[in-house]
Amino acid sequence: MLKTSSARSSSVGDKIFDICNYIFMIFLIIVTLYPFINMFALSFNDANDSIRGDIYFWPREWTFRNYEYVFNESNVFYATFISAARTIVGTIISVFCTSMLAYAISRPEYKLKKFVSITFIFTMYFSGGLIPGYLLIKELGMLNSFWVYIIPGIIGVFNMIVIRSFIEGLPEGIMESAKMDGAGDLTTFIRIVLPLTVPALATVSLFVAVYQWNSWFDVFLYNSSRHNLSTLQYELMKILSTSNTGTSAADQYANAQGNVQMVTPTSVRATMTIVASVPIIMVYPFLQKYFVKGMVVGGVKG
Amino acid sequence: MEKHTLQLTESTSDDSRLRAFFKALSKQKMLMLMSLPFLAWVIIFKYVPLWGWTIAFQKYRLGRDIFDQAWTGLDNFKFLFQEEQFYLVLRNTLVMSSINLVLGFVTAIILALLLNELRRIYFKRTVQTISYLPHFISWVVAANIVQTALAPEGIFNVLLLQFNIIDKPILWLGVGEYFWSILGVTEVWKNVGWNTIIYLAAITTIDPTQYEAAEIDGASRIQRMLHITLPGMKPVIVILLIMNLGHILESGFEPQYLLGNGMNVEYSENLDIFVLKYGIQMNNYGLATAAGMFKTVVSFIFLIAANNLAKRLGENRLY
Amino acid sequence: MRKKNWLQTSLALLTAVALLLTGCSSNNDEGGNTTKTNTSSETDGKTGEVSKDPVTFSYFGFGTNNDVLASETTIGKVLQQQTGVDWKMEYVIGDPSTKAGVMIAGGEYPDVISPVSELAKLLDAEALIPLNDLIEQHGPNIKRVYGDYMDKITHEDGNIYILPFTANIGGYLTEPDASSSIWIQRRVLKEFGYPEVKTLDQYFDLIEQYQAKYPKVDGKDTIGYATFAGEPGQFYTITNAPMHLAGYPNDGNVMVDLETHEAKLYQGTDYEKKWLQKLNEMHVKGLFDPESFTANGDQFMAKLTSGRVLGFSGYIWQIGNAINNLKAAGNDDLRYVSLPIVFDENTTDAYMDPPSFVNNRGLGISVSAKDPVRIIQYWDNLLTDENQKLVQWGEEGVTYSVNEEGRFVMNEEQLKNRNDNDFKRKYGFAYFDYEWPRYGNNSVYEDGNAHMPFSQPEVADVNYTDGDRALLEAYGINTFSGFFAKPVERPWYPAWSIEKAQGSPEDIFNQKAGDLQQKYFPKLVLSEGKFESVWNEYLEEFNKLDAAGFEAFMTAKVKDRVAGKW
Repeated sequence: MLKTSSARSSSVGDKIFDICNYIFMIFLIIVTLYPFINMFALSFNDANDSIRGDIYFWPREWTFRNYEYVFNESNVFYATFISAARTIVGTIISVFCTSMLAYAISRPEYKLKKFVSITFIFTMYFSGGLIPGYLLIKELGMLNSFWVYIIPGIIGVFNMIVIRSFIEGLPEGIMESAKMDGAGDLTTFIRIVLPLTVPALATVSLFVAVYQWNSWFDVFLYNSSRHNLSTLQYELMKILSTSNTGTSAADQYANAQGNVQMVTPTSVRATMTIVASVPIIMVYPFLQKYFVKGMVVGGVKG
Repeated sequence: MEKHTLQLTESTSDDSRLRAFFKALSKQKMLMLMSLPFLAWVIIFKYVPLWGWTIAFQKYRLGRDIFDQAWTGLDNFKFLFQEEQFYLVLRNTLVMSSINLVLGFVTAIILALLLNELRRIYFKRTVQTISYLPHFISWVVAANIVQTALAPEGIFNVLLLQFNIIDKPILWLGVGEYFWSILGVTEVWKNVGWNTIIYLAAITTIDPTQYEAAEIDGASRIQRMLHITLPGMKPVIVILLIMNLGHILESGFEPQYLLGNGMNVEYSENLDIFVLKYGIQMNNYGLATAAGMFKTVVSFIFLIAANNLAKRLGENRLY
Repeated sequence: MRKKNWLQTSLALLTAVALLLTGCSSNNDEGGNTTKTNTSSETDGKTGEVSKDPVTFSYFGFGTNNDVLASETTIGKVLQQQTGVDWKMEYVIGDPSTKAGVMIAGGEYPDVISPVSELAKLLDAEALIPLNDLIEQHGPNIKRVYGDYMDKITHEDGNIYILPFTANIGGYLTEPDASSSIWIQRRVLKEFGYPEVKTLDQYFDLIEQYQAKYPKVDGKDTIGYATFAGEPGQFYTITNAPMHLAGYPNDGNVMVDLETHEAKLYQGTDYEKKWLQKLNEMHVKGLFDPESFTANGDQFMAKLTSGRVLGFSGYIWQIGNAINNLKAAGNDDLRYVSLPIVFDENTTDAYMDPPSFVNNRGLGISVSAKDPVRIIQYWDNLLTDENQKLVQWGEEGVTYSVNEEGRFVMNEEQLKNRNDNDFKRKYGFAYFDYEWPRYGNNSVYEDGNAHMPFSQPEVADVNYTDGDRALLEAYGINTFSGFFAKPVERPWYPAWSIEKAQGSPEDIFNQKAGDLQQKYFPKLVLSEGKFESVWNEYLEEFNKLDAAGFEAFMTAKVKDRVAGKW
């Protein structure tokens, strides 16, 4: 219905606009796809050959050795499982808690609205520092535990604000009528607000999921001695750092001896870029449908 | 006498207001239950570690408790503010973060508007998915790509030579004056797709009947973009703008560090790199903390000013 | 009344959440090494009996390596059979300084630590225990190896906290394939009949002549000279040069006089000026690659492997991959050789490291160690001749062979294995050949064999290609070290390892002086016709810094070292 009507009314100006738009989008695809193509080419190219440079779109000397090197570390698969676990658990808990808080502070009648909002917002702009943060986690007994990945991040202040502004954008009538029907705040939140803010929740879920998936610093700080809690990103960091031979004194001798490296940091980095980012990029198309066509509000109205 | 009564009435009204406040609050048990546990969380996880700010007034030594530290008063702040270099890096920080802020907003909003105008749904999805890919590439990799592209024999020089725009290759990263632009473009390239996501979500909340009505009125594409889509995104834009103004001293660290070199150092070195060099690398936790406190103060000033401005303009506010 | 209620409720909530949080995680704590037991095996030591009960200690290295359980490697297994001790070895990932910070803040340490660059921090936090008594009681081999170095390993307070890795014993063997930091492409030497190249002028002259003759390689312009100064962390490549050219070894940012032991900065001196002027001259002639100041490691390496660069500066540990890549490619003409370049004919080069003792790298025992005596006994056992051969050479007949003259030799495959990272990890060389109490790299066994396989001339020889041999023959030498002058004894060497208190005036001077170099070197080298005025500007800036104070500090420390106070 919408499509036919717009096709009918498109003017010459609109057509020119469309053409320019498509040309621009194709340009955008090229420049933003390039880094991945480049990483792909490097990851499948012989590491020693890559030193010569000039690898852009396609491998020059094909090899699977870089991937073998990365997957050879037996812990990689288990660490992927931990990464997936923290991503799923962390995202569900954080999005639920954050949106609940966002609902509470979006209610105009809530007396503590401003106080709570400010208390949270300010925390975006300061930090007590690394050492006090570490000591806190230690005092709370959260070192060497899975929950250290989840609990310190249950509320994302930025995400809270985003969800709040979506809730505030909902027609007030909807919530009023829920109140009329005798629904309490919790019911309103779960039955009305959550379904209506799906685009915002999808966005925030993506933010949290990507954050969780990419994190390695908390593993480094709190769980570095627990192999069974190591994550994919952290394992990849390990593999990268050990591929960087030639820096330690012992390696200088080996290097001087014409020891051709099987892997180089550049190749390993390319490989780990592919290994680490492909799974999380897959998440996007699933969430995408929620913000490409929203129209939830309209649906409710109709 | 009269003065006295006045005070009296005032205090009673205060009292009754307070009473009314608590009375109203007591009816909001569910809202309190939905927010106060998190308030406890934020106090424990964000406010308690603020004791670490005492380090700014110490010559901090690791592994000793607070009573064993040597207190140095404002020495760390003095070092910071008396250092000539500090003002140079402050300038660089402000310029780079302003460029990032403006470019970041403008490009993401424009891209969101343009994406929204794409009619083929699969093409739209494809562009969207691809445009956010560079976000998943580490800065080390991204910087490497930029350095390769900008090398004397890199693609950028080759193209410019081809089209006779320049007559000999330029060492782009070797000219300090170009650094800010290079950084701005790099940031856009890396993050524009990612930054667009939130605006696309905002667009979904726009009532589709508005577009239909506009179409019947014969509004052109550009008019619809400017008069329906853009206003629909405005609340999110304003909120994000206020939040980001608070981050005015956060210009990033990795891109400057990786793309910086001796030839552009006067333009590339920012506050975070300065703190790394004189604070963290020298184990001067006190200086690093003092710099952090300075940033917080500046953040608050910008945040509060921006929020008040929004209030005065009748726009959405952060709090 | 109501107010109180509200306060109580919120407090109750707060505690509830706090309890919840701690409750959630406390049951997950069992893995940490929280218990401090300093008891056991005290008795074993007294009776001289070494316990062989199986035990696993933790090892933490602030260098880079893969985590491993020692007994999973061949060497670790052999040592475990001898001692009953196994090691859970971990290495730092990410920023070592941050890791050290949280380790100290947490107050819990692994049993032994190799602090690398974090030593000062750990000592300040009293994280390491004094080893003096332990060595006295349980370390006859430790005393044999470190006996000559006692003054060097003893800290200012009279205690020994770490056992360094550089205690050479049994003589001093220089490595056969030393290199300088200034390289030339072999085809340049070949073109001019392998001339003697000694001075910087001769070096650049040769490059200039060659470039004039062959301005293009494979259709691309040849690059006269490049240096690796595009990454801030690698800038020392260009700043160190004047020191080497003036005939001094790598003492960091000072040159130390052999007689008076005065440490003088060379920044801002005529040496530095001469070096930069020369580079500037090359730039004006179009022979200096300006990308030297912007290229990252990958770009620089790609440039070297392209064969277009005639000469360059870089240390072997920076450019090893490119050198090896070229060797594997097999075209000897495009490979490089490093030369003993100095400023003038009468200067003796000092590219080969003098006997040195690095006393701020070593292995220490932490205050959390469960059983320091067992650890010391393990170290002592590691320091037998037999076990030192094991960690460097491996097992006879497997990883090396002994020829009729009793010399240790390797065939090509054994050498390949000794160089292969995977093999080194599986076998344990990667874990045991360096960051443990050990014989220094230049040590010689009583039977005359070199401690380090790569210092054994017979082993080095296996590595040479025909091209290498031809080049060496042309210059009438047997190994690449033959290019360089024999090192001179410098009792303070290396001055770069002198600890500067963090955040001290010396530390800040270092940073600022380095910043100035980063800022001005590119300007000076690439200036066209303004060299003198930029130089004066640079000097003016430099003179604002307290160079004299820094030199006084370094001189005092050098003199201390000469006097035996390390």
